[in-house]
Amino acid sequence: MIELNLKKLLNIENKDQTLDIDIKIKTREFITLFGKSGAGKTTILKMIAGLVQPDEGFIKVNGQLWFDKEKNINLPPQKRKVGFVFQDYALFPNMTVEQNIKFGMEKEDKNFLKELLEITELYDIKDRKPVTLSGGQRQRVALARAVARKPDILLLDEPLSALDFEIRQKLQEKLKEIHNRFDLTTVLVSHDFSEIFKLSNRVFVLENGKITRSGKPEDVFVQERLSGKVKFSGEILGIKKDDVVCIVSVLIGGNIIKVIATQEEAKSLSVGDKVVIASKAFNPFILKID
Amino acid sequence: MNKLKGYIKNINSSQNLSIVEIDLNGIDICSIVVETPETASYLKTGNQVFVLFKETEVSIGKNVQGLISLRNQIPCKVTKIEKGKILSKIDLECKEHRIVSIITTSSVERLNLSIGDEVTAFIKSNEVSLMEI
Repeated sequence: MIELNLKKLLNIENKDQTLDIDIKIKTREFITLFGKSGAGKTTILKMIAGLVQPDEGFIKVNGQLWFDKEKNINLPPQKRKVGFVFQDYALFPNMTVEQNIKFGMEKEDKNFLKELLEITELYDIKDRKPVTLSGGQRQRVALARAVARKPDILLLDEPLSALDFEIRQKLQEKLKEIHNRFDLTTVLVSHDFSEIFKLSNRVFVLENGKITRSGKPEDVFVQERLSGKVKFSGEILGIKKDDVVCIVSVLIGGNIIKVIATQEEAKSLSVGDKVVIASKAFNPFILKID
Repeated sequence: MNKLKGYIKNINSSQNLSIVEIDLNGIDICSIVVETPETASYLKTGNQVFVLFKETEVSIGKNVQGLISLRNQIPCKVTKIEKGKILSKIDLECKEHRIVSIITTSSVERLNLSIGDEVTAFIKSNEVSLMEI
């Protein structure tokens, strides 16, 4: 269990704003912090990692206090078992892939290193330097290095946002696999709706420094209660007018589905919009795959 | 999507399914949902709900005789026809409600539909969704 009770006065775009949150994260949970830029999401991660000090409150991780203003406890970053992955990879350019990952380890563990190289599909390029790698490969190195520390909390600050769509999709799967395999507790900062739905058990919506909504992604983002039993959330990829209707392509969990809408409906939709696709339980066919 | 507001008039449930009758100010429409008053709190007689159904699920009949299993048969007047190559969009009026139907253009021609025609809109109960207000 991770308990975060944090208060800090922030100055965002010359406006004072108090970040004030109180959340509990269960062990092995995957949670997402969602909100506009400047809402304080990254600051929360930095406070957990010990890079920014809260004005008030405490951080308690599996019973151990990492920070407590009243008791004057403040563990330095290196004493906090945290894995941190940023949008930019921050790898050591003079080290190989393997050396970068090994650097994250508290003590050398050959089997674990091999397991990490294999799960992140870096084994074949373990002797290469970061400069020779693609963005997706570099981010896998950064992820493996963060996990190599066997962190109590894995902090991911928009780790996939700089990558292109297909790589992002693939790495989302990897993240999920790694989170499950190593029994991690993960805090993700993300704007990507499909990523949040795919990965997180719970999402916290941060507005003006406060958590305004929290819960399962489908409960938080799907506000209208509809009797439809077949319901998916996704993102609009394209809208094509055809005849008297429009064909709307929606990305749902890595698949693209096409939905007919009237032109009136399509007027209120645009590419990139987050939407819910709903249908009655009576409509879909079930075809067995064998 | 057609979206009409009405009141729940009657609910008849089995273990998992309910047939819900909604009064849209004089027009009754019926929906079958995989919910019961126990699983969905908004399913209560007298509650206001939205009734939703897709335009493409609205069939149109003209001078219909005989028995049809479909429960929702709404007398309407055609107010607008927009013909495309394959599909056509028909605007229907029933009391104060507007219902849109999308059917094939060949059916529009087969029925010889024109503005002002008195027709019946057919919607299967299992195509009608309810939304809590």
